[in-house]
Amino acid sequence: MKLVVLLSVGRHPVSGKPALPRTEAQAIRIAAELGASIGLHVGPDAFPAEAALGHGLDRAVHLACAGGPDPIGPLVARIATEAPDVVLAGRRGQGGEETGLAPYAVAARLGVPIVPDAVAIRPAGDGLVEVDQALPKGALRRLVVRTPLVVTVHPNAPAPLPYAFGKARRGSIERVDAAAADLAAVAPAPEERPYRKRPKMMRAAGGSAADRLKAVTGEATAGGAKILDGPTPEDAAKEVLAFLRRVGVLAPAGAGATGPTA
Amino acid sequence: MTRPRRDPRAERAAARTAGAERPRYDLGAKASASRRPRRDPRTEAASQRVPGAARLRLDRSQFGVVPVLAAHAPERPAEKAPPKPVIVENPDFLVLVAPDMAGGRLGEHDRQLFGAARELAGKTGATFALVGAASPDLGPAGADRIAIAARDPDAYDPDGRAAEIVAAMRALDPRHVLFAESADGGDLARRVAVLTGEPLFADAEQVSASALGRPARCRKVEQRSAPTRLVTVAADCVASYAGAPREARLETVELSTDRTGAAGAIVSARLIPADPATVPLALADFVVSAGNGVTDLDLFARVVAALGATPGASRVLCDAGLMPRDRQVGASGTVLGATCYFALGIAGAPQHLQGVADCEHIVAVNTDLHAAMIARAGLGIIQDAQLVMPAILKELERERGDRP
Repeated sequence: MKLVVLLSVGRHPVSGKPALPRTEAQAIRIAAELGASIGLHVGPDAFPAEAALGHGLDRAVHLACAGGPDPIGPLVARIATEAPDVVLAGRRGQGGEETGLAPYAVAARLGVPIVPDAVAIRPAGDGLVEVDQALPKGALRRLVVRTPLVVTVHPNAPAPLPYAFGKARRGSIERVDAAAADLAAVAPAPEERPYRKRPKMMRAAGGSAADRLKAVTGEATAGGAKILDGPTPEDAAKEVLAFLRRVGVLAPAGAGATGPTA
Repeated sequence: MTRPRRDPRAERAAARTAGAERPRYDLGAKASASRRPRRDPRTEAASQRVPGAARLRLDRSQFGVVPVLAAHAPERPAEKAPPKPVIVENPDFLVLVAPDMAGGRLGEHDRQLFGAARELAGKTGATFALVGAASPDLGPAGADRIAIAARDPDAYDPDGRAAEIVAAMRALDPRHVLFAESADGGDLARRVAVLTGEPLFADAEQVSASALGRPARCRKVEQRSAPTRLVTVAADCVASYAGAPREARLETVELSTDRTGAAGAIVSARLIPADPATVPLALADFVVSAGNGVTDLDLFARVVAALGATPGASRVLCDAGLMPRDRQVGASGTVLGATCYFALGIAGAPQHLQGVADCEHIVAVNTDLHAAMIARAGLGIIQDAQLVMPAILKELERERGDRP
């Protein structure tokens, strides 16, 4: 299987130094375990390509161009020549507009489907891959999709491989100047100012300290409670099970195994 | 300034009650200089007394309340009529909202989305919600108009949903289209942005009618722009709509979609629910938790397995080494996002209640009627958890036996 990983210049969340975004490093791990894969970066700086080699890729392509142009054109042109089965990207590339649109735009230009938030990819034979998509509350959606396709990686994917200096030295970076015909002008960047931290939104502001504590512990929303004082354990058990079924976390009686998920 | 000099003889003479043979003075009626009513600690304590308790319990939050005798209790005010919904008859423009509505219910993030939409719509605009199924919560949440999409809400078809939104945009020509920056909503917004070719203002943290703001470059800078057409709104940054309920008028919109591109590439989609026994506590949907009132932890483990729940514990059990630390619920453990929380033998310290503040339904079994956990619960049972646990197991077993 042939794979391409899209790379961007991120910032380390603590030190602010240039770093490969974590989801892209996770994408590299998924790609390196699946087969021959290359990294692809468009921009003036070769840094992400070098970092990608250290995290597990053997080959990276740096499509060099000055300034911060729209990367979609050169990316699509190069991916079309490489003809990979799967194109992997982070959830949201950094350093550019940071809208997370790039993988969607690439998929639309290539005319291939996009699957967001993948945590694992397995080949499923004959031009098919099985993609595990992360859903809220720990659930997964297992999709079988025809290749080629674009996949973005979820932060819950396996942790990235650690950076290895020797691996970064052994890998090769191919530097190509992006064709001017592919470069399109980007939309004017919005006005930027230093980030100001804002106070966290509270459920209930004001009131006395007791009111605020009630808001934090959820007592303010409590009410309409049904209280049974000293029932027999059997009655209590029946009441609890009936409540859990009404709420919908327990399968109805006689619906097979207990628990909606069992 | 000097205080006027008191004349005790004149004061006494003024307090003298007339008519009596013997001189009598009504000294109790004398107004005090400060005009503050005299406190009677005994009456106050009596008014704070919680009725029905065997031992003396005083509710100190009832400070300064004078007890009202039943005979003199004021008439209960008549039930207030529900506030009239706000109607925008001829809106100047529309703000289209595409809430996630996971499970057909309006989540907290969806409500914040409507809050942002109302902020953008102002007095003259109207919010238009495109939902999978109607819900009575939509009006109070801030929807002026709603339309029901025809698609199957359970099927995984993000391209179809994006095409529907694009069709709605063509039919309604809204000034703004708002999505939640969640897994589903963010995906949908980007598909719509690619389909329409319009710029997307992603992850907006500040929303007002004049400007949108979002963090960028690892929260080192803040980007601001005038409200664009396509916007995704971050979670917990914009307040939900808190005004009078809106109309939520049902309208029909032509949502004919022309499916093109990579439709049909997805061969199959299967949902794999999380394994409740191993899922991290923060992600669990149903948590059964043990506290100091639970002594038999093997029995507790069997109850958890029988209910198909995720086990949790209070700080006391974790400190004692009876449960692993990653199972601790509360401010110093895990803050839950569960739908239902079942507390066995937990009294409910404030730090523990902080951990379950987001839980929608709470069941508590405790021996103390006045425990904070019982006050917070939707179903409170005053009974020993050690006796209720085997009864639950027996009841589940009996149901399984009854099944043909």
